[in-house]
Amino acid sequence: MKEWFLKLSTSKKLAITAALLGVIAMFIGNPSNDNKIYVNAKEMALSTVKNQDKIEVITLADWLIKEKSDFTLVDLRSEKEYSEYNIPTSVNIKIENLLGSDLMRNEKIILYGVDDIASAQAWFVLKSSNYKGVYILKGGMNGWKKEVLFPTLAVNATPEQSSAFEKLKQISLHFGGTPQLASEGQTTTATITVKPNVQSLPKLTVPAGGKAVKKKKEGC
Amino acid sequence: MMPYFKFDYFGFDFSLVVAFIIGIGFGFALERGGFGNARILAAQFYFYNMRVLKVMFTAIVTAMLGLFYFSWIGWLDLSLVYIGDTYILPQIIGGLILGIGFVIGGYCPGTSFVSASAGRTDGIIFILGIIFGVFVFGEMFPLLEEFYNSTNMGRVTLPDFLGLSHGMVVFLVVAMALGAFAAAEWGEKVLSKKSGRGVE
Repeated sequence: MKEWFLKLSTSKKLAITAALLGVIAMFIGNPSNDNKIYVNAKEMALSTVKNQDKIEVITLADWLIKEKSDFTLVDLRSEKEYSEYNIPTSVNIKIENLLGSDLMRNEKIILYGVDDIASAQAWFVLKSSNYKGVYILKGGMNGWKKEVLFPTLAVNATPEQSSAFEKLKQISLHFGGTPQLASEGQTTTATITVKPNVQSLPKLTVPAGGKAVKKKKEGC
Repeated sequence: MMPYFKFDYFGFDFSLVVAFIIGIGFGFALERGGFGNARILAAQFYFYNMRVLKVMFTAIVTAMLGLFYFSWIGWLDLSLVYIGDTYILPQIIGGLILGIGFVIGGYCPGTSFVSASAGRTDGIIFILGIIFGVFVFGEMFPLLEEFYNSTNMGRVTLPDFLGLSHGMVVFLVVAMALGAFAAAEWGEKVLSKKSGRGVE
């Protein structure tokens, strides 16, 4: 058998090898098991504890003003909520569609939902599927509204707080928000519970849904 | 795990270096396979010389077996390998136009660069033709855009389309390739005797 094989020409040897591999492949069926996930629990836990996986809303606002574009901002909320208002440059992807989306494993992804819950779940889904740079926008949309769109200055603010507020005001105005002073008589704790929904949200300048990320074309 | 770029083993800049090295290897293999010569390429269409069919099928079978077994072993995540969308009508028309150009000019785009790199004049002229064609296409694009984006079927693979397992498709393609090799060897002998043309 061995001698017979060795006597054949190279192309015949290769052809027989290919035929064998082809027959074995037929019995293997489907090669990859897509439902299996590998989790490096320690690494994930550590990055959570060290807060390396969170991004403050003010930081994001700063990046957006500077027009940084090395990240993809993902809105996990419903289509209706997304079309009412969303953070500029964001794309609307539902949590169940995350893995089938155009997101790349080597890109920086920032997730936000109404608060931190949906984004934390989405973070786990992506992390366990080997996406490298996944971050959570701290506070989600509620945080964005509270700190960026409608920042409030307490009445009894110190001069330092006031000067810091000046900067916030500029950021807020950039995104079409309404910075405000806490009204008389309200305590500082009361200002925190101000319902952001009461104020009118800035109008979307770009029609929602009309700015889906352009599909990256690869290959020839 | 592969693909290395998608798993961020290296960045975009280094990926260009990798592409450069692979490109040189690819061009070298094409030239050594005889693909820098328009006579050999065009002979395929008249069945004097089946080298194109043999080289293409060898490349397909090698790459396919590699991808299949690598992903079976767990070295490769097949779902991350890029597959372009299928636009069935525009792609059929485009394929026909490319085929006509291939018969007339004796090259496909890639092999014309191989031929030009080897210093052949016809290859250089062919590249000028490509550039002119790209320009004309670009100028006409607003007229063609609707057709260009029509009949999108999304990401289609043979296993999905035929409802077969990956392994079954691998087996069928290998069987098809081996059948084609045998037929090509036989056909070359018969035709070269009949017409008096050599295999080369």
